[in-house]
Amino acid sequence: MAIDRNKVIADMSKVKAEPNPDGIIPAFNVLVNQFPANFWNRFSMRMMDAVSGDIKEAVEELLVNAAHECGYHTGYGIITSKEWDAAVKPMVGGVEDVLHGAYAVFTAWGWAKAEIVELVPGKRMVVRAYDYYEADIAKDYPAKKAPRPMAFMIRGVSAAFMDLAYGGDYDPAGQKGLYTFRCRQTKGIEVGDAYGEFVVVPSSEY
Amino acid sequence: MIMAALKLTHRFDADSCRHYVGDLVSVLHCHHYATLFTQLAIDSRDLVDGIRILREVTEDVVHGVLKGYFAQNGIADAAERLALGQQLFSFYGMGKMSLVAPGAGGGTVEMGTAHVDEGWKKKWGKAAAPVNHIGAGFIAGLFASAYDKPPRSYKVEEKQSRAMGADKSVFAVSL
Repeated sequence: MAIDRNKVIADMSKVKAEPNPDGIIPAFNVLVNQFPANFWNRFSMRMMDAVSGDIKEAVEELLVNAAHECGYHTGYGIITSKEWDAAVKPMVGGVEDVLHGAYAVFTAWGWAKAEIVELVPGKRMVVRAYDYYEADIAKDYPAKKAPRPMAFMIRGVSAAFMDLAYGGDYDPAGQKGLYTFRCRQTKGIEVGDAYGEFVVVPSSEY
Repeated sequence: MIMAALKLTHRFDADSCRHYVGDLVSVLHCHHYATLFTQLAIDSRDLVDGIRILREVTEDVVHGVLKGYFAQNGIADAAERLALGQQLFSFYGMGKMSLVAPGAGGGTVEMGTAHVDEGWKKKWGKAAAPVNHIGAGFIAGLFASAYDKPPRSYKVEEKQSRAMGADKSVFAVSL
């Protein structure tokens, strides 16, 4: 059975993050927060704008890395959760379905309205994002256009999803399995394209 | 005085697939993300003042959210504003804070739990120095919005840290 993307989005978008009496939201084996999206964007923007040259590349990689680790651990928490078991697992026939389901959840939770448009198992994945909060960063730049693609979160999480699919068993310590794939952003709404595009390949081919 | 309860509406826009809390786009992120942003801010100290950026960004966002909320709901009393800000902190999943003798000149803030600190310990174990710069920025934004002051009005110093092993985090707030 193929993944019914619209059904997954409809079901999983209803999952609520409720803080416990201590103001903490434990969910999917991690602690969750629900800060406004502009917090994440503004930090990325100010950090990137504060540096130049090679240092800018280094800061960009660190921002992507934050999402890569987040996507690896939280992604594993999602695909092993009771919510996943109820809404997605019955449609899963193989690893590729897990990936398609993961992007439906990714969409449902407001990270990006994104889907896989090309998938060569274990080798390459191309993702398109038609709406994503990181594109809003353009609003704070002159002419409402970012100076470079800045969807660092989508890049990191996309690489992490391929790690989970093809990088071997999940490692809670992140010593193995993590960073077997990397992602490059080839288009971005924030730089004037109609959609964001993300190409994930093995780290050795990056 | 009976304190008002924070009322925030959540909606999912099925067309854009975005979540909104009140008027703002909201997104779920995990402690890995928050602590790695914090680590990046700390580690970048030789290149850029990342800690200042992290604190200021948090302060600006929180100040904006609370000023808007107070205006829309006609909340003018400072004590009520502070109480609502404390509720917002927990609503965001950032932990639980209590205020000790707060006033326009500052005060003390204690946290029995903090997302960044609990996340830091879960991810890396004890920290060598205070790390809850997001929490400090939140406090600065809370006090400034409660007392009708602009951002950067308050200095916030983390005197005691749960990430370092203390039972509670303690922040000193001053003008």
